Amino acid sequence: MAAFCRGRYRWKRTNCIQFITRNLTGTFDYDLVVIGGGSGGLACSKEAAQLGQKVAVLDYVEPSVKGTKWGIGGTCVNVGCIPKKLMHQAALLGTALKDAQKYGWQVPGPISHDWRTMAEAVQNHIRSLNWGHRVQLQDKKVTYLNMKGRLVDEHTVQGLSKTGKETTLTAKNIVIATGGRPKYPTHVPGAIEHSITSDDIFWLKESPGKTLVVGASYVALECAGFLTGLGLDTTVMVRSVPLRGFDQQMAGLVTDYMEAYGTKFCWKSVPKRVAKLSCGKLQVTWTDRQTGQDQQDSFDSVLWAIGRAPETKTLNLEKVGIKLNKESGKILVGADESTSVPNIYAFGDIGEGRPELTPTAIKAGKLLARRLTGQSSELMNYDNVATTVFTPLEYGCVGLSEEEAESRHGKDSIEVYHAFYKPLEFTVAERDGSHCYIKVVCERGGDQRILGLHFTGPNAGEVTQGFAMGFRCGATMNHLKETVGIHPTCAEELTKVNISKRSGLDPTVTGC
Amino acid sequence: MQWILSGDPPIRPNNCLWCCVCFLVMAMIQFSRTQTSLFSLLRLLSPFYRHKVSRRSMASDAATRFDFLVIGGGSGGLAGARRAAELGATATVIESHKLGGTCVNVGCVPKKVMWNTAVHAEFLHDHSDYGFDIGNVQFNWETIKAKRDAYVSRLNHIYRNNLDKTYNNKRKAKIETIQGHARFTNDPEPTVEVNGKKYTAPHILIATGGYPSLLSDNDVPGANHGITSDGFFELESLPKRSVIVGAGYIAVEMAGILSTLGSKTSVICRQTGVLRNFDAFISTNCTKELQNSGIELWKNTQVKSVSKKDNGLLEVTLVTKDQEKKNDEEKINTIQEVDCLLWAIGREPNTSGLNLSQVGVDIDERGFIIVDEFQNTTRKGIYAVGDVCGKALLTPVAIAAGRKLAHRLFEGKKDAKVDYSNIPSVVFSHPPIGSVGLTEEEAIKSRGKENVKSYKKSFTPMYHAITTRKTQCIMKMVCVGKEEKVVGLHMQGIGCDEMLQGFAVAIKMGATKADFDNTIAIHPTSSEEFVTMR
Repeated sequence: MAAFCRGRYRWKRTNCIQFITRNLTGTFDYDLVVIGGGSGGLACSKEAAQLGQKVAVLDYVEPSVKGTKWGIGGTCVNVGCIPKKLMHQAALLGTALKDAQKYGWQVPGPISHDWRTMAEAVQNHIRSLNWGHRVQLQDKKVTYLNMKGRLVDEHTVQGLSKTGKETTLTAKNIVIATGGRPKYPTHVPGAIEHSITSDDIFWLKESPGKTLVVGASYVALECAGFLTGLGLDTTVMVRSVPLRGFDQQMAGLVTDYMEAYGTKFCWKSVPKRVAKLSCGKLQVTWTDRQTGQDQQDSFDSVLWAIGRAPETKTLNLEKVGIKLNKESGKILVGADESTSVPNIYAFGDIGEGRPELTPTAIKAGKLLARRLTGQSSELMNYDNVATTVFTPLEYGCVGLSEEEAESRHGKDSIEVYHAFYKPLEFTVAERDGSHCYIKVVCERGGDQRILGLHFTGPNAGEVTQGFAMGFRCGATMNHLKETVGIHPTCAEELTKVNISKRSGLDPTVTGC
Repeated sequence: MQWILSGDPPIRPNNCLWCCVCFLVMAMIQFSRTQTSLFSLLRLLSPFYRHKVSRRSMASDAATRFDFLVIGGGSGGLAGARRAAELGATATVIESHKLGGTCVNVGCVPKKVMWNTAVHAEFLHDHSDYGFDIGNVQFNWETIKAKRDAYVSRLNHIYRNNLDKTYNNKRKAKIETIQGHARFTNDPEPTVEVNGKKYTAPHILIATGGYPSLLSDNDVPGANHGITSDGFFELESLPKRSVIVGAGYIAVEMAGILSTLGSKTSVICRQTGVLRNFDAFISTNCTKELQNSGIELWKNTQVKSVSKKDNGLLEVTLVTKDQEKKNDEEKINTIQEVDCLLWAIGREPNTSGLNLSQVGVDIDERGFIIVDEFQNTTRKGIYAVGDVCGKALLTPVAIAAGRKLAHRLFEGKKDAKVDYSNIPSVVFSHPPIGSVGLTEEEAIKSRGKENVKSYKKSFTPMYHAITTRKTQCIMKMVCVGKEEKVVGLHMQGIGCDEMLQGFAVAIKMGATKADFDNTIAIHPTSSEEFVTMR
């Protein structure tokens, strides 16, 4: 009771002080308080500070179920893009080592990969990035608070430190950019106790060993891809379709390549339970939905990649009147990232309907800061964002999938140009190039404006960026054709594509 | 009927006269070779035929006639011939060597294979940083040489098949290939002779390409002990000590491959750095990367003489003199025990045996064929594409030019021509270079310094975040005018080879800096740095 009284008293006092300061001076502690120090939050806070605002950013990492924690920078830096791309690179080097032997390099003995060496290097790099973010905040005079933020009212945020210390901040504007975290299943016994997620995989000190990845999102496929590439026995369990939302033909090529690459797939299967055996292995039981039979196998690790949930639970959102999408739990946002409460904004992975991508969060954050400071009224354009899936065979795309183009424009109004090409680097290496494919979906009439562009192949990320820009400029098929190719590259195949699906001709590229 | 002999383009592919003529021409070709008795039967069928035969005999004695005669079976010639055939013309390709030309046999393709081989050498430095234990790795040149040769032969074969496959839909005739050297005759109508037989066509395309320049012993005593890039592809083992003379992209690529694969390599350049015709940002960086990778660079240096020692190795004598400093004394140095001296000092056109002066095809002072923007030479009915014209010596340019020409001649697309501006190209150096449009220097020259703004960026690609070996990625965007139209993009770094193409599309469309800024990045890549430049 004493504690309660004390707390109550303090609450009263702080509120009282705030009330006085606010009303006497008409100002707040800060112009802007950002909750969440991920890609979006950091970009927004730095931009605002550069434009002369007084800014504080609160960042706090709730440890994962397995106890993994990390520093500032959010998902991208710590448990997303950066470590996954580095581990993807490691896996590509594993493939390169096999190719090298075809290129005249004699590699003695069996090739072994040491997870510890790679993980340590990756983790050290992440720590250097965490440090870099701290330095940047300092340079730009943004106050950094390693605290969990909670809304008190539309101008007040309460921060709670690791040691339980509370700090109250008032701000003219508040931005919520707390992102999301991987989900665990709710009805699979043993799942939470015995398995990991993408929050843990990059911080493992030891190799995960034989791994079951549950899910077929890009996170699932990327993780399974690099684990396979590092020589681990890896299985992906897919309930329905891989890469939902992406062009399904392309998704099929990505998973076909992975299967040929050594990743095992359990299609149309749902996990039932996870049990820890006395030997320490995890026994997973699942149901094959096609046969209705239960099956069992044991793994060293089970990784859930079945989607991500927004980090909203502790923010006290509903109390201050911020409306959420009941189903997704994400914050309902307007085109200007506004929430249902004036002066409070939200963007990034936590915003309903927003792409869960770092570059969109960064850009949206910067634009928001500029609007809040009256520098501009420019809104974020979320349409046609290009992206790349870093699976063993990379897949880059921008614009509509073939299915989406069909449903929006009608099958008769679109023309799909495609090509199967063989990268030169695959030929000498005697690698199967049958999954390297290009698809350009465009309007059938007029100038044949491009509606969607899809590419599987090496370096898809680097290939796609420039085309995404052409796409944004309104490129047509003719623009592609009129651009001279760069020989010999994979990217040039995009300027050479000329066989339409409708023609029924063989789309295999031969010769130069 | 007259037009088929007079050399004007047959531009009415769909009328019935055309069909008739097509049939006749094909038939004539067949009969002139086979001399069968069906000859007379056909004569009865066609009132045109007699007229045609008599005209032909007068023009050139028994020259076999096609719609389109292509001299040179390289990238440009083959592309032109195939497209012409697809558009309904009878096309024939004359090739003295292997199909595919420079690109396939001694250029882009085998070069890129060797570059890929060298990239593996770089990866092998990084494997342990990424956690791989690979032990002591050895390189075997013979293995890759055999694989490369096999791949090139396979391509030669594919090219042959492609020609055979390219049926002229109307006449069901494949493209013919004639093996041998072509030489223009003194017939009044442009005619070539191959192996004693004469061939003519209203449209003759010269696409004979070029070859690497080699100095004569008069210029540099012992120069003939050296090889060129052609000879590079014949090397049976990895040279221990290589000397590359030149500073162009071929020199840079050859030196990069040899050095990365383990040959001690020196580059001899007349001036102070390599790639002097590239943007200075690239030129300087490439020179630096070259030296960082262990290549010895001799600036302000030329080869004075070469001598072959008893052990079969070469001694290369160099003379170094700084041209800037008037009183700088010449320094003489020698490089001993050289087993590969490679001249990469330019390329010359393959025109010598063609007898061009006979038909009135003019060449410039360096021997390249003079063409207008439509690839017309100075002689009506004779065209030239590709390296033999000396402009933008790139496979895709030759291909585009060959195809455009075919569309112009056989589809009546009068305006079909290649736009030689904004041609993207890549140098497969270590790391690779990409470049499209104007250099900053060129932009300033044409638009004035006050109208040009450049953006630059240089960073260490994420690939190197955990490697001890490092390379830089540098980028430059050249913009002009208030709207900041992007007129040039220049880059060197890992992945730049695959990065450039898409941006080239946008630049060709007239993209501005704002368009770059409005494009969302793809993370994490190197190319995203172009859309986040400040």
